[in-house]
Amino acid sequence: MGNSTDDLKDPSPGDNELIYTYNRELFYHFDKEKGFTQEVHYQNPDNQVIIKQSWDAAEQRLDEVKQLVIIGKLSPIAYYMEKILMEVPMLAAYMEISKWRVKRHLKRKVFNKLKPEILAKYAAIFEIKVEALKNPDFLK
Amino acid sequence: METKTMINYTHRQAGHCESGATSNLLRFYGEDMSEPMAFGIGNGLYFSYIPFLKVQFAPMISFRNLPNTVFHRGMKYLGIDATVIKKFKDPKEAMLALDRNLEKGIPTGMQVGVFNLTFFPPEYRMHYNMHNLVCFGKEGNLYHISDTVMETAQVLTYEDLLRVRYAKGVFAPEGKMYWINNVPGNLDIKAAVAMGIKKTVYEMIKVPFPLIGVKGLRWMGRDLRKWPKKHGVTKASFYLGQVLRMAEDFGTGGAGFRYIYGAFLKEAGEKFNHTELLEASEMMGKTANRWREFTYIGARNCKSRSQPQEDYGMLGDMMIEIAGMEEQVYRKLDKIKL
Repeated sequence: MGNSTDDLKDPSPGDNELIYTYNRELFYHFDKEKGFTQEVHYQNPDNQVIIKQSWDAAEQRLDEVKQLVIIGKLSPIAYYMEKILMEVPMLAAYMEISKWRVKRHLKRKVFNKLKPEILAKYAAIFEIKVEALKNPDFLK
Repeated sequence: METKTMINYTHRQAGHCESGATSNLLRFYGEDMSEPMAFGIGNGLYFSYIPFLKVQFAPMISFRNLPNTVFHRGMKYLGIDATVIKKFKDPKEAMLALDRNLEKGIPTGMQVGVFNLTFFPPEYRMHYNMHNLVCFGKEGNLYHISDTVMETAQVLTYEDLLRVRYAKGVFAPEGKMYWINNVPGNLDIKAAVAMGIKKTVYEMIKVPFPLIGVKGLRWMGRDLRKWPKKHGVTKASFYLGQVLRMAEDFGTGGAGFRYIYGAFLKEAGEKFNHTELLEASEMMGKTANRWREFTYIGARNCKSRSQPQEDYGMLGDMMIEIAGMEEQVYRKLDKIKL
């Protein structure tokens, strides 16, 4: 790229490591002399930090839910739902049941009484065995 | 039984998934249309900010139009015969319809969710249902896929493709597919460009609702200043991160599509020898660069979590300034006669 947009370019090389290097994407740039140009490169380090932020937040949420499951306040469904980044409305859509029912199933007491068919359906969505849904590893 | 159908379709990478797919489909039918042109004609550019609706735990922000707008409006404005099937009740029927298209040699676009899209970059695999790809071949159980985010063409199994076409949640694709039937010989691109610009100008400055277009940008700028006080530093940083993710993540071409739109104005200006369009394109390019500055400063803010609150005030001001810059572009475009 030209020199005129240097202040807009990535910060000095080396002070940031790239976290995600799976695929290079097409980006557009603008510069007064050259006009609009296209370039294929990885997301710049600053944007990668932003992407990581949302994964870190997800991890933190998962950790919080895990603690609540351990103290018996929430059911393992809450944990596995969080693990695949879902929220109640989406899980209800996959389960083909109403949202309030899913919300109830997040309570440990209700969960203990769930029918095997329903458990199996949840397990299939989470892609785990029913046994793992009933007794997650971290509870053992 | 081993069946093989392969359409001679060229995969080209693009900034935005849907305008990339639209442009590639048009090129397949011999109409050399660039991605920015498809994006501009099809009203890709948009902005909405809905603070009371939370998506992925942050206010809903969108820099793009609803899914399928680019293809649908683009085809309408260009006067091209195309089909959009919004929904298939039966997933198997949706796959059969795709197979029939492939046998007829029709490359077919589809809306999909990215969470289970096996070839997709892992860092983007969240529950996002507004992605587009084009299928152009089948070999046994494997489908050949052109996804404009990816550098090369990809393959998906029958099961995986069915799964992403029936991802659930907000904007669930429900098996939506679309394709071009016939491209007439002499397209009136000038008229299409005029219609596309008119609609985008309407959506960005004339919608009588405060959360859409430039007004939405200003509203977000004002809210941005208050975030640290209202929600605490951690949440404010996450919200700010969400704005930046929406603007810079996959399929935007950078700066919330503003570069692509500027490139569209430039191409149209050159094509029709129109000075004012060229001026508008330069203004858009500068706005896009300002957007990129905003995302750089914002990203640094997110990186160090214990930031003084003044930074949010500065970012909010910057957002309002950007809104003003954008508004000037749309006002200028509003006066242009093609």
